[in-house]
Amino acid sequence: MSKRSARDSRGSRAAAWAAVAVLGGFGLLPVYWMLATALTPAQQTFRYPPSLIPTDLTLDNFANLADEPALARYLFNSIIVSVITAVLSVVVSAYMGYAFSKFRFRGRRSLMYFVLSSQMFPQALLLVTLYALFSAYRLLDTYTALVLSFTTFTLPLCVWMLKGFFDTIPDSLVEAARVDGASRLRTIHSVILPLSAPGLVAAGLFAFVRGWNDFIFALTLAGREKTTLPPGLVNAFLGEATAQWAELMAASLLASLPVVVAFIALQRFLVGGITAGAIKG
Amino acid sequence: MLPALAMLAAIVVYPLVASLVTAFFAQSLVEPGRTFVGLGNITELLGGDFWRLLRQTLVFTVGATVAPFLVGLALALALNTRIRGRATLRGLLLIPWLVPSVVVSFLWMWIFNANYGLANGALEALGLIDEPRAWLASPGTAMAAVIVAKTWASFPWILVMLLAGLQTVPGELHEAAETDGAGAVQRFFAVTLPHLRGIIGIVLLLELIWNFQHFDLIYVMTGGGPAGATETFATAVYETAFQGYDLGRAGALGLLWMLLLLGMVAIYVRRSEREGQL
Repeated sequence: MSKRSARDSRGSRAAAWAAVAVLGGFGLLPVYWMLATALTPAQQTFRYPPSLIPTDLTLDNFANLADEPALARYLFNSIIVSVITAVLSVVVSAYMGYAFSKFRFRGRRSLMYFVLSSQMFPQALLLVTLYALFSAYRLLDTYTALVLSFTTFTLPLCVWMLKGFFDTIPDSLVEAARVDGASRLRTIHSVILPLSAPGLVAAGLFAFVRGWNDFIFALTLAGREKTTLPPGLVNAFLGEATAQWAELMAASLLASLPVVVAFIALQRFLVGGITAGAIKG
Repeated sequence: MLPALAMLAAIVVYPLVASLVTAFFAQSLVEPGRTFVGLGNITELLGGDFWRLLRQTLVFTVGATVAPFLVGLALALALNTRIRGRATLRGLLLIPWLVPSVVVSFLWMWIFNANYGLANGALEALGLIDEPRAWLASPGTAMAAVIVAKTWASFPWILVMLLAGLQTVPGELHEAAETDGAGAVQRFFAVTLPHLRGIIGIVLLLELIWNFQHFDLIYVMTGGGPAGATETFATAVYETAFQGYDLGRAGALGLLWMLLLLGMVAIYVRRSEREGQL
């Protein structure tokens, strides 16, 4: 018996290693390739077959990005819009998440269905009317249009995450605050929200990442002035004949950095968040 | 909670309904006014492009769901053993999921580049192809190439979900099965898989819903081309509305698309209810 299980565990360990090597390579090699290309002198990217190990490392590709003032503007826009979206979404959805978690009222379940399913409908379709709406109010190419449109996907996400978080706070705390004479709002502000800081941070961060990564809304609702990095990079680099691969990989690296860094820094708050519900589309 | 509800109603419900209503009109994005045409837009689509779009959307949806699921499942099983460095590896493997979709697109456009791409270099070195190919520019391979890119971007989320599920499988069950003489493969099918059924269902369903409406990678990598080979409902609705300005046709496409999607969303909502999340 013991012999058999030893063989099994040796066999499964080998299988585990093989899976990690092949599939881990599929996951990580492209990341390495982005980094390697970004650090390769531009003319060396026009070689075939490509060499996996870059020879003359350079930061020129990053320096060249600084010569394009439009990119700095897109970066600035991305930061502004994603931060405002995150803050607004957390503030607005905290109350709703709390109501879903702690109050029992008529229509609660249908409203929760509604919030849950509202993030599952096609953005391309929403855009048809949002575009007309923002155009009528002369809001095209403004931060307002971008923030409002981003909340179509960040609000349901934050409500859902925060509801899950508030569920873990015992009702007895709410009850105790009530006995002490605190109003409902007072209970939320002085008792619940301070306890929920990790949840609020996680929800805000997810909203930030989703806003930062958005492509279709900014592509459609913003013009050259207010657009964010993703459509900005597409416009700047993907022309008739795309050739600046080294520079594009450098720009891609910079565009990815904030979300990756934020995630690593806050990982302990976030792993629970990923598995808590429907997170990414 | 009222402000949040009002906001959702204003920015989600109203626009969705209003967009769908255009299905019954002849209407342009850039000119005012519209005329009622009844089911005209819809019958026109059903007699033409709809079926091709449906087929291509389904190919993308199924491919971009099954492939990352298998990758994620294999890695989750591998990382659930006591392998060295697994915490670091799990963290690093999240990167593809975190980076913006346009970055995923750029990276894989570069990898699949016809002249200098890594994919050609690697496949040629392995002897799998004889000469460099234009993966994204050939109708025969473009869809597969986009699915590979989407697989790369999606598997980390599936991996994390399945890994979380695996950690709830009681160790005693495995030990008991082992004492009864079950091998690793048998234990996987008899113990692990049944235990993961709930989470696998949710993961697959959500991936199907998301992929059915995925836009970013397809639009950036191929723009629906070459010759419409990677066009899906998402890119078709977008192009029809914002490049063709034909809101009637876009609305009709959207209506048919939504009906198909609604079925999947209903299943998901009912499932969440059963699992007591609501």
